Amino acid sequence: MPILLIFLTSCSSIKQLEVFKTEVKRVPLNLEKPAAPNMEKLNWIIITSDNAEEVFAKMKEDGKDPVLFGLSDDDYEILAKNFAQIRAYIIKQGATLDSYKEYYESSEKSE
Amino acid sequence: MYKLKADNAILKENAIKLEEAVSSQQAVIQQQTKDFNTILTQNKKMTALNETLNKELSALDDKFNKTNASGKKRDIGDLAIARTKTIEKVINKASDNAQRCVEISMGAELTEKEKNATKKSEINSECPSLANPSYIPY
Repeated sequence: MPILLIFLTSCSSIKQLEVFKTEVKRVPLNLEKPAAPNMEKLNWIIITSDNAEEVFAKMKEDGKDPVLFGLSDDDYEILAKNFAQIRAYIIKQGATLDSYKEYYESSEKSE
Repeated sequence: MYKLKADNAILKENAIKLEEAVSSQQAVIQQQTKDFNTILTQNKKMTALNETLNKELSALDDKFNKTNASGKKRDIGDLAIARTKTIEKVINKASDNAQRCVEISMGAELTEKEKNATKKSEINSECPSLANPSYIPY
């Protein structure tokens, strides 16, 4: 008991607070968006058993190699849908990036 | 007496620091509320975007599989045999539109014509929500 009293009288119970502030704001990445490419126009040719000769003759006339890379009507539909899905994915990814940029790099945040 | 004075000084300092801590905590809470609202807004935006894109994908599916009044499904192959040149034009137009949609989705600027399109005949039917902001489906 006497020892405790000595401690109580010799040491202050009040300690000075130490507050550390170490916030260092991250520099925004601010990458430029990639430039949108200009897509070249392509031309679909529909070839049936009725117009095949006419189509190849026209191709020869236009100086093109008389060869076609074909798709059936069902496969054409699949290609169109796949293309639409890729497009939707690009849009969603762009929107996601914009959201992240707005959330982490908006001017309000840096204020 | 001297010790009391020293303690008092420390207490005052502590009080100031505590006030600072409280106010910085309030700032943190305010920031968190703001962040939470931003997250909600961004989630809503993404949900709306997903809905729009899903509708456009369904619309494409409908184009290929539209059922007529007699219950027969549209067959693009049959149509292409019956009206080769017309369908070729339709396919090429749709292909141009689809490519334009990709360009826009990758950040290409909208043209004035695209921005101002309000009629069905003026829009890019592959992605009106993206290409024609003034168009309201009717």
